[in-house]
Amino acid sequence: MSNGSVNSQTILVVGGGIAGVSAAVEAAESGYEVVLLENAPTLGGRVAKLNRYFPKLCHPTCGLEINFQRIKKLKNLKIFTMSSVAQVAGEKGNFTVSVKTTPRYVKANCTACGACAQAAESDVANAFNYNLDTVKAAYLPHEMAFPMRYVIDPSVIGTPEADKIKAACSYDAVDLDEVESTFDINVGAIIWATGWRPYDPAKITPYSYGESPDIITNVEMERLAAHDGPTHGKILRPSNGEAPKKVALIQCAGSRDYNHLPYCSRICCLGSLKHAAYIREQYAESEVDIYYIDIRAHDKLESFHVKLKADPQVSFRKSKPASIEVGDDGGPIVKGEDTITREVYARPYDLVVLATGMEPSNAQDRAPVTIEQDEYGFMVPHQGDKDGMISAGVASGPLDVSMSVQSATAAALKAIQAVSSNA
Amino acid sequence: MNALSPDTKKKYDLNFARWVYENVDGGDRLSMCMQCGVCSGSCPIGDQMDYGPRKLFMMVRAGMKEAVLKANTMFNCVSCYNCVVRCPRSVPVKYILHGLGRLALQEGYAKPKEVDNSRFADAFWWSVSKYGKTDERLVTAKYYFSAGLSEGIKRGMGNMKIAMGMIKTKRMHLGMPHKTKKQGELKAILAKAVEIQNRNHGEG
Repeated sequence: MSNGSVNSQTILVVGGGIAGVSAAVEAAESGYEVVLLENAPTLGGRVAKLNRYFPKLCHPTCGLEINFQRIKKLKNLKIFTMSSVAQVAGEKGNFTVSVKTTPRYVKANCTACGACAQAAESDVANAFNYNLDTVKAAYLPHEMAFPMRYVIDPSVIGTPEADKIKAACSYDAVDLDEVESTFDINVGAIIWATGWRPYDPAKITPYSYGESPDIITNVEMERLAAHDGPTHGKILRPSNGEAPKKVALIQCAGSRDYNHLPYCSRICCLGSLKHAAYIREQYAESEVDIYYIDIRAHDKLESFHVKLKADPQVSFRKSKPASIEVGDDGGPIVKGEDTITREVYARPYDLVVLATGMEPSNAQDRAPVTIEQDEYGFMVPHQGDKDGMISAGVASGPLDVSMSVQSATAAALKAIQAVSSNA
Repeated sequence: MNALSPDTKKKYDLNFARWVYENVDGGDRLSMCMQCGVCSGSCPIGDQMDYGPRKLFMMVRAGMKEAVLKANTMFNCVSCYNCVVRCPRSVPVKYILHGLGRLALQEGYAKPKEVDNSRFADAFWWSVSKYGKTDERLVTAKYYFSAGLSEGIKRGMGNMKIAMGMIKTKRMHLGMPHKTKKQGELKAILAKAVEIQNRNHGEG
């Protein structure tokens, strides 16, 4: 950085999901100083919450583990979790970024022994499992958390329970006096890898999400199927804990709909096909109906679609359901028109999974900077050498994991070009 | 409808879809339909239609002019707007159906006298344009008798018990029809509306 100019060659990456981690590691491995910020207490983002992912249906822990190994070898990569951008000033080559860090109440010498969790009494919603279950107020975000450090929920701070948690730690790693702090960093380029959130299914009123526990979303399905999820990997009806016999997977719940997300979210078709495979693997008797407008199994995965079509227990129904109602027994009933037979149907199911789409994280809480966003809130990928702001991953548009990683690598290169042109 | 109206003699008319896009209110959005079936699945009386809106729209695109304009779909629509609010492509389904219904009547594919909804609409409009208000007794009577004298008497007698009950509880009155105050202004408003309608369709 001592290149004689006032310009910084440090690259800031905002967001520690698969795109942000990839971009940060790629830039750091190329020899640049990199700072990575993550809102949550752990890296991994949405991908860490998947049960398995494409193309090879691996567990995401595998891909994360490789990245975490790379991170550990990089002395020029600094990571701040529970941290976000409060403000950005300056311009390409010389940004001053204010970073806000919220307290974790656990210091770096935590050994993840878990004594604090045993001392904790109250339960809090488990964000990692999309609030499908609870964790103790002192918790490890998940078993592959990075950094491998516990977190104390702010709700117990100032209570006798917090003192018990502190006393339980034999390494003196609990610091109840931590407060929110802000610090400034000087960087030359910023990669925005702020990702996405699932579209709120409650906004699709005809689909009755929230009116029956057996109407769930695709991201919740991933947690039900995951071994560290609320049901330890067994797909069960949330209403009564029984195995579902008939399952409906509803495509485009929100996506491709001018009332909700006008664009195709790209990941849901293969996601739902994967869910059909999860169910069929667990229950030989089960029947799965996939409701679709048209199947967009993109990339090189048509074979996965073809394989499922050969399963006589999986039916593809060309219809966007008009409504989902709750029957007298509390179970969901899917209603609509089968557009091939023109049959108007009302079919009861044990479990309905809504394939809700991807909404950019910045759609509502816009990034605290002037960066060009399209009409949906995705950041228009910028020419890094022009203004030093680059978007990566789903922050730039709906992408799957492999495309996010490609986009992240491209963003890392653009950021390098941006800071190098200052030298 | 006007000079651009498609040839009424043809069963199939390959220009029909384009004509609908350009001439029916909301028709330009019809090209956005992606045949997802939400409209037909949302329709409370879809089982009383020859074809649901989704299929009817596909038939428009296929140029099946005669089959489209002879369908009862347009006349059985009850304007509940389920299809309009749920359509993921913002196709104003109900408006297009009404436009097609109007076309069917104007081109003689449907006979006003034979279409129940059309006769009810006539009775309703008669009351509104005459009094500025709908007088339920007169609308009902006019609608019943539009099906013929004996049918009118039959339907009227069939509902006598309900009518007596309503009179008793003062839900229906027996005096002169209620009217808006300034009848002259009403006539002027309606004349202007007709003028605008003719002008717009003239531009077609």
